[in-house]
Amino acid sequence: MENFVNALISGLISGSLYAAMALGLTIIYGVSRVFNFGHGVIAVIGAYLTWYLLSALGVPFLLATLLSMAFMAIFGFVLYRLTINPLLKKPNWEFSTVLFMLGAGILLENVVLQVFGPRVKSIPLLVEGMLKVGFLQINWHELLLIAIVVIAITALSLFFKYSRTGQAMRAVAQSIPGAQVVGIHIEQIFGMTFALAFVVTGFSGILLGTKYYLNPHIGWEWMVKGFVIVTFGGLGSTSGAVVAALILGLVEAIATLYLGAIWVWPIWFVLFLVVLLLRPQGILGGRM
Amino acid sequence: MLTVKDLVCYYGDLQVLRQVSLHVEEGEVVALFGPNGHGKSTLLKAICGLQPPRAGSIQFRGAEIAGLPAHQIVERGLAYIPEERHLFADMTVLENLYLGAYPRHARAAVKKNLEFVFHIFPRLAERRNQLCSTLSGGEARMVAIGRGLMSETSLLMVDEPSIGLSPGMKMAVFDAIRQIHQERGMTILIVEQEIQHALEMSDRIYLMKKGQIAFERKGKEIQVEEIEKAYF
Repeated sequence: MENFVNALISGLISGSLYAAMALGLTIIYGVSRVFNFGHGVIAVIGAYLTWYLLSALGVPFLLATLLSMAFMAIFGFVLYRLTINPLLKKPNWEFSTVLFMLGAGILLENVVLQVFGPRVKSIPLLVEGMLKVGFLQINWHELLLIAIVVIAITALSLFFKYSRTGQAMRAVAQSIPGAQVVGIHIEQIFGMTFALAFVVTGFSGILLGTKYYLNPHIGWEWMVKGFVIVTFGGLGSTSGAVVAALILGLVEAIATLYLGAIWVWPIWFVLFLVVLLLRPQGILGGRM
Repeated sequence: MLTVKDLVCYYGDLQVLRQVSLHVEEGEVVALFGPNGHGKSTLLKAICGLQPPRAGSIQFRGAEIAGLPAHQIVERGLAYIPEERHLFADMTVLENLYLGAYPRHARAAVKKNLEFVFHIFPRLAERRNQLCSTLSGGEARMVAIGRGLMSETSLLMVDEPSIGLSPGMKMAVFDAIRQIHQERGMTILIVEQEIQHALEMSDRIYLMKKGQIAFERKGKEIQVEEIEKAYF
């Protein structure tokens, strides 16, 4: 019983981190139909930048995060403008953007390797100490992570619901000709979507970097998890990604408890295949 | 207000518009008739920027707009209501209407335009919080027209507004278009297969065939039969 409850809590924690990580993937796909095969490395870049500012330059955590996020926004926008935008005008853009982002991911992974070296890094905990209630033992840091993810996701959904740009993003996600007819500048919204998704993804990298370790290659593992989550939840659906991440986080924790950690991937992929067979649009489906 | 001259449009290698010329004056209702697949919708799409023309000129309120991207044309006060509607299905009626007021110049007039939309389509006021994916065909058509009106437009181009609707819904849509013209003095260019209804409200008509304008007439000078005969 104690173990089970602790497993539930740890599943909730990793689930919320996975949710944050998968959101960027589903936002880009939802709006522009580009499947970002360089997604994991983007998260890694956000984490490394913050680590560098924190550890090498001694910048305080909040400022380091803000600076990295500003960089990620510019990076996303510029990458879209210079590379994805011209590719989208080609007839077989779906395939070319996948290959291009895969190549860009490998390139960026090696840039991170050259700049920061192969040694494992980690971002220090936000707070020390542990909450003990009866048999429950939770790190304050991990509770804080959940709170941060909840706040971030709430802020994001308010942005999509009420801001002019957020509404335009949803409009483009639901109907590109409809968006054109009401006067939305599609390419501008695509650019802002990449900027937003890179910020969200980079931010999730920071959170992941405080709980797990960082190396230049870890992004691929994160990305495969992201793929399972967004397919499970419904490609392009933000609420679906959050629900799927929580379910898969819990499945991971419970499988680890009763069967051992080596069973996590097989179980994840069996679930993934079952969802693909029975409900290819994902558990929630629907658009942003 | 709108002057199209020698417009040429292609889909790939297929020529759809062969030097089309027409004009719409301020305050007019102009109907564009003609058989299906002869370029009427393409002409509207070319004017509103969804289908860039290969040659020719489109002047709107004295400025050349041929080849401009769609969002810049909407910002100049030209609204296009597509036959396919292209609503935002997972948003409510109200969210769709508000998005119609996306252009900067339309934002100050949101309240006034929303009241007018609910005035001509009381049904939409009742369903304002309903998702568009749950609307009937006629209601969805109303949202599409309403969304176009929200853009604080001076020229409204409507592509087959009555297609696929029940007779009752057709009447409601035509009544609304008549109201838009009479109460707002809006200039309207309408493509329609219900010749009788469209002819009744039109000042002038064009007949389009094989990607060209076959003839132009004053609305009062032509009978439905004559237009129908020209289809074949």
